[in-house]
Amino acid sequence: MTTEIPRYFLEMTAQEVRLCGLLLQEHFGDVVEKVGTHLIRSGVLTLRALAHETKLALDLVKKSLCVLVQHGMCTFGPGRRGPAGPVEYRINCERILHMLRYPRYIYTAKSLYGDTGELIIEEILQRGQMTMSSTVKTVADRLTHNMPEGQSMDYSEVVSAFSRLVETHFLQRCPPMASAGSSSSGAVDTSLPVVTQPAEPESNPECYKLPYINLTGQGKRRRSSEDGEDDQRAAKKAKTDNSQCGDEGIYWQVNFLRFHLHFRDQAIISAVSCKLDQTSSEIVRTMLRMSEVTTPAHAAFTQALSANEIFRSLPSNYNIARPILDQYLTLLVDDPMEFVGKTGDSGGGMYVVNLHRALANLARATLESVVQERFGSRSARIFRLLLRKRHLEQKQVEDFAMVPAKEAKDMLYTLLSENLVQLQEVPKTPDYAPSRTFYLYTVNQLPTARLLLQHCYKTIGNLIERRLYETKENKRLLEKSQRIEAILASLQATGAETAQLTEVEEMITAPERQQLESLRHHINKLDSSENQVDETIFLLESYINSTQASR
Amino acid sequence: MTEVKVKKESTDPVDIENRIKELCQQFPHGITDQVIQNDMPHVEAQQRATALNRLLSVGQLDLLRNSSGLLYRLKDAQSASKVKGSDNQEKLVYQIIEDAGNKGIWSRDIRYKSNLPLTEINKILKNLESKKLIKAVKSVAASKKKVYMLYNLQPDRSVTGGAWYSDQDFESEFVEVLNQQCFKFLQSKAEAARDSKQSPMVQRNSSFATSHEVWKYICELGISKVDLSMEDIETILNTLIFDGKVEMTIIAAKEGTVGSVDGQMKLYRGVNPIIQPTGLVKTPCGLCPVFDDCHEGGEISPSNCVYMTEWLDF
Repeated sequence: MTTEIPRYFLEMTAQEVRLCGLLLQEHFGDVVEKVGTHLIRSGVLTLRALAHETKLALDLVKKSLCVLVQHGMCTFGPGRRGPAGPVEYRINCERILHMLRYPRYIYTAKSLYGDTGELIIEEILQRGQMTMSSTVKTVADRLTHNMPEGQSMDYSEVVSAFSRLVETHFLQRCPPMASAGSSSSGAVDTSLPVVTQPAEPESNPECYKLPYINLTGQGKRRRSSEDGEDDQRAAKKAKTDNSQCGDEGIYWQVNFLRFHLHFRDQAIISAVSCKLDQTSSEIVRTMLRMSEVTTPAHAAFTQALSANEIFRSLPSNYNIARPILDQYLTLLVDDPMEFVGKTGDSGGGMYVVNLHRALANLARATLESVVQERFGSRSARIFRLLLRKRHLEQKQVEDFAMVPAKEAKDMLYTLLSENLVQLQEVPKTPDYAPSRTFYLYTVNQLPTARLLLQHCYKTIGNLIERRLYETKENKRLLEKSQRIEAILASLQATGAETAQLTEVEEMITAPERQQLESLRHHINKLDSSENQVDETIFLLESYINSTQASR
Repeated sequence: MTEVKVKKESTDPVDIENRIKELCQQFPHGITDQVIQNDMPHVEAQQRATALNRLLSVGQLDLLRNSSGLLYRLKDAQSASKVKGSDNQEKLVYQIIEDAGNKGIWSRDIRYKSNLPLTEINKILKNLESKKLIKAVKSVAASKKKVYMLYNLQPDRSVTGGAWYSDQDFESEFVEVLNQQCFKFLQSKAEAARDSKQSPMVQRNSSFATSHEVWKYICELGISKVDLSMEDIETILNTLIFDGKVEMTIIAAKEGTVGSVDGQMKLYRGVNPIIQPTGLVKTPCGLCPVFDDCHEGGEISPSNCVYMTEWLDF
């Protein structure tokens, strides 16, 4: 099985560092942010060096590292002085950036496995790693809470949802520690002489094996009238539940790579559906589904599938005749986008989905879309022209694009200043005299994609900062609103009269209410556009990674 | 070779000239000095030369050069009369302009070829223009440059820019209109094919249109004042390809099929984009002109961004 090239071996750009810092602060607080950002900037550090440089108490640094390791964002290993020396810590920036995508992971789990699946993924994402038994118990409790009085969620249902997630590889076991670590995962202890870095999850042969757990029962309903504080503490410390279920030490984490493959497949299917038609996209969906587990993660194309197999695996509600299927497959192969390729004739024809080609096409469409929206359709025409024809002179650009000379010049210079288009000099004489040199315009897809990716990171950073600003500006109002809500809740619980409730409600004036409403609208808009920009990031990142993997 | 009538020997210069003219008529491709000598062996070289020069100066003979030597040819009576009354220099300039054909020639090039001073050239050009023998055409490549060509010639495409230029202005609107019309035609054809619910292969094939079909449709629409050729329509269709709205395939076609060029036919089809506008451009930052200047704590920052404020309140 091929592995992802760890991005933390490459340098992080300023925008990525900024974004990681913002995400760490939002999810884990200031201290973790400080430790994490410092570690990103310095590369690899020992515990002592880290504490010294951040000027934080050793205790705090230890706890921050715990949090980061728990979530898989920080790895540790033998330092430069060898196994006998202090352990060194390294941040995994890519994993931090995955936090942007949490809503998408949760939503996917919901669409595939319902509410149960959604909550399982949400819990594991929130805590980084969990045992199966504690996940089941927590999720059952949460589901029970939302069910009508008297009903509760049985553990077995949650267990079956969990099993399905593992079977389809969306969840995987955390790689076991080679050293004699304690049962709580990733505890840092620099006094141990031999500490090795956890290996890749899939190198563990039991990566997707479900443990036998002794767990029966149903979710417990949390009563709001009972000790509210106790319940909160209990919810936070669910991990250290004392009842033994038989799976101690076996921790599960979300398999991000699998989710990413799923997103990639979704993007390809939707592209086929737009370009061709619904039936063609269903055929491609079938092909991708069939080759899910047999295709390595960074392969350029799926395993070859015969037309016979595809025909047998089509969903039953797609009643198309065999010759018609052959026609659809031929059309897919002939399409200029080359989503599907034909590799042989046995079994009625052997077909593959061209994954890397599809990613390149999607990235290209993304670039074109950005140029079109930002600079207009004629600049987009020039951009597409240069993508197709590679190198063109000024005059040729004008002629092909049918744009008047003055405007063409203007557009090309604008694109050039934004670095979306490059100028290549081809001299006719060795002295590079301007009058005897060809000046050719060109577009290189890969560097342009990298550039746009950095723009995306900066954009999300901007959106997050604006959201924090909006919240800060209205802090007083938000706090007041929260106080009023708390007062109302307690009054309702003790059975107050309607008149009293109305009196309390009116403590918030109408303009304040409006301001709160507009604030909520702003925050929602900023949140949803973060998700939208993340979609762009996903396409560009997948494309860039695919080009590196094929080297 | 027709038989040459043996005439009474005469050294009369007019007779020599007439004889030369007759020989020219016999050999419309032109005669060399050798031919004249063979015909009239008694005439001295000097007399021959005089006669030839006289005929040349009155413009009845054309002097040409080929690989074997000089050729003399009878000039058209029509063109001969045209330049009657002009002096040598004008004739020279006229000659040069005529040689340039329908591409025209720039005044500086005329100067190089004729070795005449600029003032003379300008005078002659004005003279010829007033006599309606030549005309000036503005070149589309460089708007200040004027090329001269014979009055009754159609300027070549490279000078006027072809169908897309009228009076040196690129007709952007015209191109736009054609662009939209071609796209609508292809789009409706594709939709008709999709709605026909036939087998996918037939659907796809019927959604294609050859460049010939598109050309016919546009001609029938009658929106163009100038005649458009199939190549013109193909350049318009290419711009649609670069707009990402149309794709093209080339198929082999039998020679003689309507619309085929060199055994090939170009087929065009309207297509849909494969993605919706990407997430980045749905935010103000994706379209912001001062994106690079923006950072927290600066004059332009996310906190005080006016574009964001407007967008949030939308």
